[in-house]
Amino acid sequence: MPDLLPFVISGLGVGAVYALSGVGLVVLYRSSGVLNFAFGALGALGAYVAWSMLESGWPQALAWAASVAVAMVLSLAYGRLIAPHLAQRNPTIRGIGTLGFALVVLGFTEWFWGEQPRRLVLPTDAGALELADVRLTYTRVIGLALAVAMMAGIGLLLARTRVGLKMRALANDRDLSALLGIRVLQVDTVAWVLSGAFAGVCGLLLANIVRLQATLLTFMVIPAFAAAIIGRLESLPATVVGGILIGVLEAVAIVVPGLASFRSATPFLVALLMIAFHQSNTRVA
Amino acid sequence: MTPISIASPMAIPPSIDALQIALDRVRRERLRSLLVMLGTLLVLGTMLPWLANAYWTKTFSSALALSVAAAGVGLLYGQLGLVSLCQFALLGVGGWVALRISHGSGLPFELCVLAAGLVSALVGMLAGLPALRLKGLYLALVTLMLAGGFQVVITVVGFPDGGPGWLGRVEGGERLLMARPAVATSDSAYLRYVVLWLAAVLALIELHRRTRAGRSWALIRRGEAAALGAGVNVLLYQTWAFALAGFCAGVGGALLAGGVGQLDGRAFGASESVMLFALSVVGGVYHWLGAIIAGLLLRAVPALLTDFNVNGFLAMVFFGAALLHALITAQEGVAGQVLSLLHRVRARWTAGSAP
Amino acid sequence: MIVISNLTVQFGGVKALTQLDAVLDHPVCGLIGPNGAGKTTLVNVLSGLVQPRTGHIAVDGTDLLALTPTQRVRFGLRRSFQTEQVVEDLDVWSNVLAMLDHVPHERAGAKAEVGRVIDYVGLAPVATVLGARLNLFQRRMVEVAKALVGAPRLLLFDEPGAGLTEQEAVFLRRALLGIQDFCGAQVLLIDHDVDLIKATCTQTLVLDFGQRLALGPTQQVLEDPAVRRAYLGTEE
Repeated sequence: MPDLLPFVISGLGVGAVYALSGVGLVVLYRSSGVLNFAFGALGALGAYVAWSMLESGWPQALAWAASVAVAMVLSLAYGRLIAPHLAQRNPTIRGIGTLGFALVVLGFTEWFWGEQPRRLVLPTDAGALELADVRLTYTRVIGLALAVAMMAGIGLLLARTRVGLKMRALANDRDLSALLGIRVLQVDTVAWVLSGAFAGVCGLLLANIVRLQATLLTFMVIPAFAAAIIGRLESLPATVVGGILIGVLEAVAIVVPGLASFRSATPFLVALLMIAFHQSNTRVA
Repeated sequence: MTPISIASPMAIPPSIDALQIALDRVRRERLRSLLVMLGTLLVLGTMLPWLANAYWTKTFSSALALSVAAAGVGLLYGQLGLVSLCQFALLGVGGWVALRISHGSGLPFELCVLAAGLVSALVGMLAGLPALRLKGLYLALVTLMLAGGFQVVITVVGFPDGGPGWLGRVEGGERLLMARPAVATSDSAYLRYVVLWLAAVLALIELHRRTRAGRSWALIRRGEAAALGAGVNVLLYQTWAFALAGFCAGVGGALLAGGVGQLDGRAFGASESVMLFALSVVGGVYHWLGAIIAGLLLRAVPALLTDFNVNGFLAMVFFGAALLHALITAQEGVAGQVLSLLHRVRARWTAGSAP
Repeated sequence: MIVISNLTVQFGGVKALTQLDAVLDHPVCGLIGPNGAGKTTLVNVLSGLVQPRTGHIAVDGTDLLALTPTQRVRFGLRRSFQTEQVVEDLDVWSNVLAMLDHVPHERAGAKAEVGRVIDYVGLAPVATVLGARLNLFQRRMVEVAKALVGAPRLLLFDEPGAGLTEQEAVFLRRALLGIQDFCGAQVLLIDHDVDLIKATCTQTLVLDFGQRLALGPTQQVLEDPAVRRAYLGTEE
């Protein structure tokens, strides 16, 4: 029995990002009813912004901040400028709208920076922690810590703050919430901005872990969807567990003979199995 | 508003002469629109190979092969509001089947295409069946997962290129191109051949739309209450639409394989299925012209941009914006806008010629 | 003939229908009651959209609850909805034909059947007009036509006259009265227009809070003091 621990720990790194992305998607979906297909694209654009800044010699903290800020601003722009035009349509069409947005952002990113793959090398990659024969760069450690902090933060926000309460109300029944006097636009804004922040962080982490390439990063939203599906598009804890599970299984699959080359299909397989078990009880769309 | 008929409902015998005239008119219009469709394709089939150079002939062949698949996407979305984000994967399945059968057994090209269509229809149906019990957004997500899974598998497995065994891959030898149909070995002839298949598939879809299937789909589109109240077996008709869309994708895949000769496993990512859906919507899902436009957008427009030295990624920006525009305002897509323009022109023309 | 026995429908804590017993055996029966009385719920149970907690329903001797909604349509059950369900992109002819598609009928006689029904409801002049271009009256008559096509046994009309003018309501009235001769089907009519009920229904069932308040000849039921109190209101 090969030693699985290094793979598990490695899988936790990617899994944490899947979990974080899933949470970002589900929070936005529950508050505004929009499943954001552009989540990955926003992260990709943010990662490229960070890359450019680092290449120009800016400090890492600023590069991170700018990256997240760009993602937040664009997310907000879509949420306040374009999403309202589709607000009356069914959830499927509102999701497809974000697909259009993803194409716009992806196209721009590839046009501006070119499509050749790059590495997003962060200064924090230099140092590392040794944990059970696995070398975790400081970036990964920060990433994991950040992921945990953000997920805990959003949990607290939703459970303990007034904004969180309003977001949960909107998720439950948007029209009724509006009738009750909850300022829907205000809460929407918070949801889109938060989701954008998550997108920015996930983009950076994925660009560092995998590689900096716009198409790849954009379509890594698909494993994020897998995590969200495991959470049934409503439960944040289940999404987190789902994301981590996907990441770990994907990494561990390397040791299974024959399955190794197919391991990147793990998120999709798990999501499909989840749906197969969960049939028509889902109240989506 | 006064009732449109003042006749007593008990009027017997009913006078149906006017009714018969109206029904005949409708039948004539339907026939005419079918002839317009076939005529347009005939014109395309004759003009395109004649006008285009070698590069553009191959580009149009690919574009119209994708139009076949786009017709299926448009069917699912336009007739039933179902978003399928795995149709390009089904196109890949069709291409794989066609290549394997062609290399392995040397059967006639037409049989390879039909086999590809049938297998993709079956796979589409099997994949779609459990998903069809779920609601709209979940269907989109499930098909996206399937596309993602196919991407991984086909990248590893690759497409058949003349080798032995299940996978049909050649190791360290010369890779074969798919044998073209006997009647269409040259590129120009093959383009016409693709147009023929496109016409057949579009006619098949039109036939569905005008008969019981189309009416049932319309009822389902109206709402579950309307469909159940009319005794429509919703699952059956949705599954049939999925199978038909799968057939379109499979045929498109086979035609693509025949045109290009080989297919690359790295070119069948989930993003392709997403683009196929996006541009089908942009092209227009309620009319056959939309499928033709979608295929051209997918292959011909990028080629055109390359000719003019414009970066292809700007096309993607434009397509994304076009998708948003189509969703928000112009739901009939480019086809719809072209048709209403033609309609206005014709109205102005006939109005102008009236004394 | 509809035989309802011990029918109970519960939505969570709300009892929409409570141990309802009724035998409806007149050609045109009315179903009235205040809002929330359970009228639409009863029709939903009959058409199969809602499952009852307990009870039996027999239509012309057949156990209705044993059939799926699709089977009930084939059996001959038809209903219209409060909001009309006309398909916008199909013309009147296709809308009616879409209904005939799924009930047993002779292929050869389909065209004649659709023509006969469309003529009966007076829509022959607009048979090829798209649903989107029809006015409310025409849409309501399309609903009636859809109910009449094929060989229906039981027609459930849920407020077919809502939104119609006086003149249009008269036309609807005549159409409803002629149904028995036209195709022999029984009609169950929900409406708030008491004049319509009085003019067309010979037997009426009154529901209030999910329970049977009265059942009998229409005139008798409408004069019942309990009914007047609950539904029509008394002068204090």
